[in-house]
Amino acid sequence: MIVGNFVAAAVLFCLGAYTVTTRRNIVKMVLGLSLMESATYVLVISLAYRNGSTAPVLLYPPPGHTMKGLAHGNVADPFLQNICLTAIVIGVAVTAVLLTIVVRAAQHYRTLDTDEIRELTG
Amino acid sequence: MRRGTEPDRELRADEPRHRRVLGAVLCLALLAVLLLAAFDLPDGTQPLPQMARRALTSAMPDYRTTEPVNAIVYGMRAMDTFGETFILLAAVVSVVVLARGPEPRRGFFGEAVAGRKEQPSGGESTDSGERRARRAEHDEQGEGDQTPRTPDEEPVGALAAERAHAMTVVVRSAVRVALPFLTTAGIYLAVQGFSPGGGFPAGVVLLGAVLLVYTAFGHPALWLVANDALMEAVEVLAAVAIILVLLLGLPLAGSFGAQWMGLTPLETMRSGGTVQAFSLSELVEVASGLIIAVFSLLGMRHEWGRDREAS
Repeated sequence: MIVGNFVAAAVLFCLGAYTVTTRRNIVKMVLGLSLMESATYVLVISLAYRNGSTAPVLLYPPPGHTMKGLAHGNVADPFLQNICLTAIVIGVAVTAVLLTIVVRAAQHYRTLDTDEIRELTG
Repeated sequence: MRRGTEPDRELRADEPRHRRVLGAVLCLALLAVLLLAAFDLPDGTQPLPQMARRALTSAMPDYRTTEPVNAIVYGMRAMDTFGETFILLAAVVSVVVLARGPEPRRGFFGEAVAGRKEQPSGGESTDSGERRARRAEHDEQGEGDQTPRTPDEEPVGALAAERAHAMTVVVRSAVRVALPFLTTAGIYLAVQGFSPGGGFPAGVVLLGAVLLVYTAFGHPALWLVANDALMEAVEVLAAVAIILVLLLGLPLAGSFGAQWMGLTPLETMRSGGTVQAFSLSELVEVASGLIIAVFSLLGMRHEWGRDREAS
């Protein structure tokens, strides 16, 4: 079951990579990067899962368990959830930076086409 | 490289075939490698790492919180979160610097007076060529004879000069109903003290609420939130609060980011101590930082470069 998540993350990552490598429109390239970023969230959050585990919340334990008992029981990895949480917020900020650069480039060169922006062709 | 004219650009609207084929081959190869790796990843039967187990068992005694993810984000990994917060701050500063418009006029420079001295006839040139050029420029800007002389002469149904600010009454009513719930949920995520994630997701929820208002009611409805100077001050204050919460751990508890606040009983608003203080500061930091970034982007002026055909 969890392998399905890994496969979905790999496919999503490759779709993003395809967009970045084949599109000339900078907005589409930023969307591709966001897609690749989302793929890493799926991967990290899937890595946190354990078979039959519950959320790492020590509140309202299932019947037959205590709050302290839950801490020693079968729960998802809270460290990976934490990394995913902060990565999402940083990802939003980085996307904002990228889009600002895109707007400035479009205003300066009057195009979104990377082929038209000579300075990026190297 | 040849710079194409408009029709050329339209003809080349599709991506070149070789680029798509090469991209597909590369991405399929990458997919094959990733799939091979995916089938070798942990399958969910392996035990939790030692650090995760320690975080789960120490969340309640050390941080008096039932939410181990919060205890990790704002307690055990406080130093990492501190660094990530300043990555967010750096991203916001980058957006503000990139989106910054021209400096507003702050004084009298005397251009008009100097111009009148240069052209005593009041700017009207006696040169017929210049008069023709000025008239053509005037017409090109849509200010020719065909333009109504006053707004009252505009035909009913014509588009106004300003963009529409608000959406329809249906959307506005829906937002009025949803907004209190959304805002309360956002604040509750951080203030409650034992909900997953604390300030990080709460800040993003508050940004969502602000964007909902922007979409439905337009920019004028957000005169307070979209105030750059105010939001920048709020963000800097939140950053200072984060530094203080972590730095006070050094003299009061022996290390940067250590727990130095009094711990209250489980499931209360202040149950996490420094975890909760850090989380609330992070709520303000994330919400104000993202609001600044988004509104800087939305407010970027149309400072277009010269048209390449004209240059």
